[in-house]
Amino acid sequence: MKSVWRRIPGLLLLLAVITLGPSSVQAHPHVWITASSQLIYAPDGSLSGVRHAWTFDDTFSTYALQGIETKTKGVYSREELAALAQTNVESLKEFGFFTFAKADGKKEKFLEPVDYFLEYKDTALTLHFTLPLKSPVKPKELALEVFDPSFFIDFKFEDKDAVKLIGAPAGCQMQMQRPSDGTANAQKFSEQSFLTGDNSNYGAMFANKITVQCP
Amino acid sequence: MRPPTFARSLVICAATIVLLLFLEGALNVVMAQNPFGAPRPSGGELQVGGIVGWLLAKQSEFYREMSSTLRAAKSDGSAVWTLFAISFAYGIFHAAGPGHGKAVISAYLVANQETARRGIVLSFASALMQSLVAVVIVAICAWLLNASAKTMCGTEKVVEIASYALIAAFGARLVWTKGGGFMRALQTPSPSLALAAHHHDHGPAHDYHDHGSHVHDEHCGHSHAPEPVELAGPGGWQRGLSAILAVGVRPCSGAILILVFALAQGLFWAGIAATFVMGIGTAITVATIAVIAVSAKDLARRLSAGREGRGAIFMRGVEFAAAGLVLLFGAGLLFGYVAAERVTCF
Repeated sequence: MKSVWRRIPGLLLLLAVITLGPSSVQAHPHVWITASSQLIYAPDGSLSGVRHAWTFDDTFSTYALQGIETKTKGVYSREELAALAQTNVESLKEFGFFTFAKADGKKEKFLEPVDYFLEYKDTALTLHFTLPLKSPVKPKELALEVFDPSFFIDFKFEDKDAVKLIGAPAGCQMQMQRPSDGTANAQKFSEQSFLTGDNSNYGAMFANKITVQCP
Repeated sequence: MRPPTFARSLVICAATIVLLLFLEGALNVVMAQNPFGAPRPSGGELQVGGIVGWLLAKQSEFYREMSSTLRAAKSDGSAVWTLFAISFAYGIFHAAGPGHGKAVISAYLVANQETARRGIVLSFASALMQSLVAVVIVAICAWLLNASAKTMCGTEKVVEIASYALIAAFGARLVWTKGGGFMRALQTPSPSLALAAHHHDHGPAHDYHDHGSHVHDEHCGHSHAPEPVELAGPGGWQRGLSAILAVGVRPCSGAILILVFALAQGLFWAGIAATFVMGIGTAITVATIAVIAVSAKDLARRLSAGREGRGAIFMRGVEFAAAGLVLLFGAGLLFGYVAAERVTCF
């Protein structure tokens, strides 16, 4: 009898693997964001924050605009979109604004966003917002990643002028890795890790990684 | 013939389950290689390894094409047919994705003595229910009340929590019943198990009309085997209905996004039709997986049959484990331990 009991957890595990394992990792994005970002430097040469401009795909833009009353049909002023922008930044907080910064390998925290607003142009909404760093940093190497770990949102940076350094000290070099570069991240993801069901940081392989090296 | 040992039957069953795991993987491979006669794309645009990446890329592609086709249908009515074709394909692919639906249905089928046919019916009913819920939410919130996305999302969240609670409750009920069956199987001395199987149990398990105890004689060639009609009797459909409700009540976020988009384009009807076509596609995938799960259990049952008490104990154990899984799954979703497709709220 004992042996039966001892095997129950194993059975549960096997069943769990069948039903959850291979299934849970195959999420696909429902929202597409085309991003451009600015890294804002203070006069003393330290990084003070990140300014994002995120343009949503037209399906999501239409969804988000549902039920918003405007004076002129199809035209949305910044004021008319203010409440939605407020909702956006409040909800994004839960996901850490999908922005992850590391200064010389140490994780940095962001404060609440400032100067946020929405813009409607060519059937798409663009959310502008600035994330101030909790404490400005002056690292030799700064790494900034923008991605959704659960890959509900697919972030793609603009083809041109995706990232700008504003007021950075002379000699700072910026590099960007896009997920489609076939970077190391994407290659790490094999069929094996898919079978083990470890999808805790599944979206990471779709991350956009910005690196800034300063002398 | 020397009766195989319990340990051996365990090995066989473990092998069956592992086989099942690979079958699902193989299914994905087959689908990936030849979904509709389309050739596999050659490297290049593939970012993520192999089948998974390809599945993902396809899903995204179909999903995005749904909205662009809807837009095209505004001026060109024939684009609606393309929309339906894409929605169908998306449904098939999407169900291979993160769906609690197929997990709960498969586990439920394994926990009960369910037939493959019922598995198929349950899969279709729950997928269509899911489509219906999405349509009803958008029709009431967006079309009738012109509510904002925030309100709609709030509604979606409430429905989602209710759905998870339903799954957990459903799982708890299964555990209660199957736990009873398992305990009885454990307590019954092996030689008399065949006799025990003949009497009807009037405990809590009776609600479920627990046919589990009939399995033994069914496969030992005793004359009291239940008729197929009895297996899917009226009580059976009632409990099937709770499975459909638990799984089908939570709508797919993608469907809601598409429906709102269709509404804004003045093509709400096309969006509704596309949602149901998508549901049929989803049902096909879920039904396929459900049939595999039922067949695997049948195989395990056949292998363990004629093994006196131990085989029965093992099968009751499998059922109990599957019931426990439904409960764990529901609780996991409810408390956020199991990641589900996120509701769009921002």
